[in-house]
Amino acid sequence: MAFDIDQYTNNSVGVTWTDLDFSVFETDPLPESSLRTLRYMCDIEYHTVCYLRDLLTTPSHNEPEVGAFMTMWNREEFWHGEALAAVLAVHGVTVDFDELKATRLKLGWKDRLDPIKQSVMGGLVGNDFVAVHMAWGAANEWSANAAYQRMAVLEGNPVLGELLRRIARQETRHVAFYASQARDRLKSSAKARKIARFALSRFWGPVGSGVMDDSEVTHVMNHLFAGSEGRKLVRDIDSHIANLPGMTGLTIVEDSLEARGIAA
Amino acid sequence: MTAAGSTSERSEPDDRFDVRAFARAARGSHRDELDLDAVAGAGLSGEARRLLGVLAELEGATLHRLRNLLVTATHKDARVTAFLTTWAYERFWVADAFTAVRDAAGTDTAPAVPAERARRSANRFERRGPIRRAVAGMLDGTELVAAHLATGLVDSWVLEAAYRRLAEADPVLEPLAEIARSVNAGHEPFFREETLRRLGRSPRAVRLTRRELRRMDWPVGAAELAAEDRRFLLATVFGTPAGRADARLLGARAAALPGVGDQVGAAVERRLLP
Repeated sequence: MAFDIDQYTNNSVGVTWTDLDFSVFETDPLPESSLRTLRYMCDIEYHTVCYLRDLLTTPSHNEPEVGAFMTMWNREEFWHGEALAAVLAVHGVTVDFDELKATRLKLGWKDRLDPIKQSVMGGLVGNDFVAVHMAWGAANEWSANAAYQRMAVLEGNPVLGELLRRIARQETRHVAFYASQARDRLKSSAKARKIARFALSRFWGPVGSGVMDDSEVTHVMNHLFAGSEGRKLVRDIDSHIANLPGMTGLTIVEDSLEARGIAA
Repeated sequence: MTAAGSTSERSEPDDRFDVRAFARAARGSHRDELDLDAVAGAGLSGEARRLLGVLAELEGATLHRLRNLLVTATHKDARVTAFLTTWAYERFWVADAFTAVRDAAGTDTAPAVPAERARRSANRFERRGPIRRAVAGMLDGTELVAAHLATGLVDSWVLEAAYRRLAEADPVLEPLAEIARSVNAGHEPFFREETLRRLGRSPRAVRLTRRELRRMDWPVGAAELAAEDRRFLLATVFGTPAGRADARLLGARAAALPGVGDQVGAAVERRLLP
C-alpha cells in the first residue's frame, strides 16, 4: 500500500500533553523501574537525529518523498522526547540537553566512524543500501510501537497510558512509511534482499543498543518483554519483519531477548 | 504547535535563546498565506521568475545542509541538534512555499544548466561528500561546531538580503518574501548567540571559523547550484549599488565577530560580489 506523503507532512504535529493532568503523578508516582524505562525511551527519542544522520549519508534523501518524511519524523520523535521528559520532570528527573550531549560524546570513535562506514557501504551497494535502512527502520519502529503499547498496559496509569498511546499512534505512521518503502525496494532487488537479510541478522540490536549502556538495554527488555505476554508481542514484531520480501524466517527480536537471557 | 506543559519549568535562563520555546512555536505549511492565483496572473518578468526558481532550488537543499553538519561533531551537541530539528522543519515549509509559488508562476523556471555540469565549476571545498567531511570533522573536533554556527549566521544575513531583493522583483512576491524573511529572522538569534559565545571562549574555534568563512560560497548551498544560476543569484542580489552596499555591510558584520577580523570580512564581501 502506498504511503501518502503529502497527507503525512500536512498532518505532522508534535505530540501534545497539555490537556493531560500530570499532577496525578504527584499523588501516584510511577515506580522507579518504570521511570528507568521511560528515561531510556526519552533519550532514544532525542537521539533520533543520530539515526537521521546515518540515513542522510545514503543516497536516499535525494528523493523528495524520503526527505520530506525524514524531516517530519525527526521532529515528531524529538517531541516524543519532550513529552516523556515532561513526565520525568514531575518525578524530579531532569533531562537536559547538556546531559544528552555527554552521552553522545561518550560514544567516541565508533560513532565518529559511523557516517564513513555508512557512506562507504552506501557507495558500494548504492541504492540497494537504502532498502537496508528502510527495513532496519521498520524493525525499529515496530519495536518502538510495541514497547509503548506494552508499557501503557503494564503501568495501568490512565494519564501515562493516554500519552503513550498518542506516541504509539505516531509510531504507527512511521512504521507504515518504513515498511512500505522496505517492501517496494526489497521486492525489486535481489541484491537488496540479500544485503538486508545479512545486515539484520548479523547486526541488528534492540533500539538504543550501542547508544545506551547495556545494563539499561537489558532492564528495558526485561521490564517490557519478559514473560509469556511479552514474548508473544516480540514474536509479533518478528513476524512483521519476516513478512518483508526476503526476510522469511528471521527472528531477530526474539534472538536478542534470548541473547540477554530474558525469560519467556 | 501546542505542545507545552511542565517542560516550561525546565526552560533555560532568561538570557539564553530558548530552544524549547522556539520548537513549540514552529511554523508549518504556509499555503494558506499564499495567493497562488495572483502569482499565476501577475505576468512575472523573466528575471523575477528566474530568481524565484533559483531560490526555490536553494531552499530545497536543507537536508543536504543538515547532513553536512551532522557528520561532524556538531551532531554531538544536543542543544544544537534540538534547534536544527525545528530549523529543518521550518525550512522544509519555506521550501514548500517557494515551490508552490514557482510552479504557479510558470514552468520555465528550471535551473539554467543541468546540475551535473555545474559541479565541475563549483567550489570543491563545499562539494566534499560525507566521507571527506566526516574525516575533516574528526580532525577539527567539537570546536568545528562554532564554525558551522558562524556560517549559519552569515548565511542568514545573506538570505535576508536575497529575500529583500525577491520582494522588490515584483509586488506579488512580497508575501512569499515576507514568510521567508520572518522564518529566517527566527533562526538568526540562535546562530548569533551561539557564535558569539563559542568564539569568545576558544581560539581554536576562532581559527576554524575564519577558515570556513573565508572559503564559503554564499549563500550556503550555492556550490550545488548550476554555475550560471549562482552567478545570476549573486548579480541580482549583490550586483546593484544597493546590493554592493549590502555586501559591504555584511562583510563588516562578519569582520566584527569575535576574532574574525577585517581580512576575513573582506573575503566574505568579495565572495558575495558577482
